[in-house]
Amino acid sequence: MIINPILKKDLKTKLRGWRTMVLICCYILLLAAILFVYFAGNNMLTPRTGGNYSPRMAVDAYNLLIVFQFALLFLVVPAITATSITSERERQTLDLMLVTKTSATRIVLGKIMVSIAHTMLLLIASMPVLGVVFFFGGVNFVDIAKLLLFYVITSFFVASCGVFCSTLFKRNIVSIITTYIFLGLITFGPFIALLISVYVKELRLSGVGFNPTYGTYLKPLFPSSVFGFTSFYYGGSNMYGYGLWGSMCQEIESQMARETGILRLFKPWIVNSIFNIVGSAILILLSAVKLNPVRRKS
Amino acid sequence: MMVTVENLTKRYKKTLAVDELCMGIPEGEIYGFVGANGAGKTTTMRIIAGLLAPTSGKVFVDGIDVTKEPLRVKKHLGYMPDFFGVYDDLKVTEYMGFYGGLQGIYGAECEKLIDSLLELVRLTEKKEAYVDSLSRGMKQRLCLARSLIHDPRFLILDEPASGLDPRARVEMREILKELRTMGKTVLISSHILTELSELCTSIGIIDEGRLVASGSVSQVLEKMSHSESIKIKVLERQDEAVKILLEMPEIGEISSVSGTLEVKVKGGEKLFAKVLKALVERDIPVVSFHPEEGSLESVFMQLTERGKDNDN
Repeated sequence: MIINPILKKDLKTKLRGWRTMVLICCYILLLAAILFVYFAGNNMLTPRTGGNYSPRMAVDAYNLLIVFQFALLFLVVPAITATSITSERERQTLDLMLVTKTSATRIVLGKIMVSIAHTMLLLIASMPVLGVVFFFGGVNFVDIAKLLLFYVITSFFVASCGVFCSTLFKRNIVSIITTYIFLGLITFGPFIALLISVYVKELRLSGVGFNPTYGTYLKPLFPSSVFGFTSFYYGGSNMYGYGLWGSMCQEIESQMARETGILRLFKPWIVNSIFNIVGSAILILLSAVKLNPVRRKS
Repeated sequence: MMVTVENLTKRYKKTLAVDELCMGIPEGEIYGFVGANGAGKTTTMRIIAGLLAPTSGKVFVDGIDVTKEPLRVKKHLGYMPDFFGVYDDLKVTEYMGFYGGLQGIYGAECEKLIDSLLELVRLTEKKEAYVDSLSRGMKQRLCLARSLIHDPRFLILDEPASGLDPRARVEMREILKELRTMGKTVLISSHILTELSELCTSIGIIDEGRLVASGSVSQVLEKMSHSESIKIKVLERQDEAVKILLEMPEIGEISSVSGTLEVKVKGGEKLFAKVLKALVERDIPVVSFHPEEGSLESVFMQLTERGKDNDN
């Protein structure tokens, strides 16, 4: 099987040493520690001796882990990809790649595949920890498979943003900061706006005719991966989780149910994934154009 | 022609790096590209390699337009820049395999090529070593092997001997000679002009983005042969000797270095005889009379100086 040479080189160099192994072990231990502290904090470790064992609490623990993973994805992937081209420039190896018959698009895809490979490694390594919740029920394999698919597609988009910024700037630090700002705006910006609007509704405008509709409030959220992530969150101890976050998930769910068009057939994660795939394709194309030497100004 | 450059111009904002440059490199030639720092050599080479877009003008490699079909050109082209560009965490064979993969060469075919190229650049015994453990000269040779992984017909070598110690330089020169016997067309730039004159079949001298001379090494030397220098040592009466020499219109600048007169003359062997005769006839005790042969350095200095004079 022919593997993209950029991916092959990266896997060979990164997985050869002890550092990756230590990193993965630390990551799994951290997840296990989170789970342990959560169960211990809810007195679930000793159900036979007076503990308040509840399967709902296990689902909440699962929610906690997947939120942690989701946040990690947004931290790790840009850190890998936002320096992918700039570091080649700094190392003076970019020209050596561009002078080969490998196209700029294939180079960009290779860099994206590297970050997805790392994400997949972390996600798959964490499966045994996530699997603990199966003992308690409430989450099935299909849910986790869908979540993994969502994570991969989201990683693809996040990686595309990172590589795109990496082609735009010459310095690593500028590229990293720009990637985080761009992702912050596109992922969390619209959601924070909705969060504030729901908060305002609950506190001040309840019962005075403030009635946000799906069309006006949710469509701008489609690009946000947080919007897609809500598909995997609910199902906790009070159906939508606690507090503002729970009520926001409920809002999205109820507004989606009211949708009459084709969007009614899609869950938020599917809608967001479609956006991410289209967005990734555009960013890859732009990165390849920017990277193409005969189009570069200097 | 393996390479044809037509009216190539490259401008960086207000700086004109390459100015209406025209040149051609026939197939099988080793073409030496000579020029001072900032003369436009690297810019020209990067444009030919498809790594930089020209402001105007055309470049064809094996008849293919570099800007229109860059990927097609890259199949025939190997490029070695004036920097190492190595991944320190890779072994020599992995480094070569990586670039083999980027050139679309995999598996057993790639391994076979790597072995033969490492043998060519005399790095076989280092095949399992990490790249960062290699000496500078070895890294340069490895970079040369990398640029040959897809068996290109045309090679661009930008300062391949820069920063190398004399031994490494000799080794590099031997390898380049082998490339010549393999029938590769090579465009090579270097500051070590004597090396170029030994290696190259033709040369081009670039100054301030313009090609001021080109042709075979002998042609370029011949073109400038009317401007030579003679080293004359006299036993005594040096001042009188200078006076005699200055009476002759063909004599240019005269300088005295460690008791030896260095006389710039404009003319060939007949003039040398005339100068010697004039001194001997006036009983000047000439101890040695040594006409300096034209060298690439002297030609380069004259041409680039002439360009500056014209500008002024």
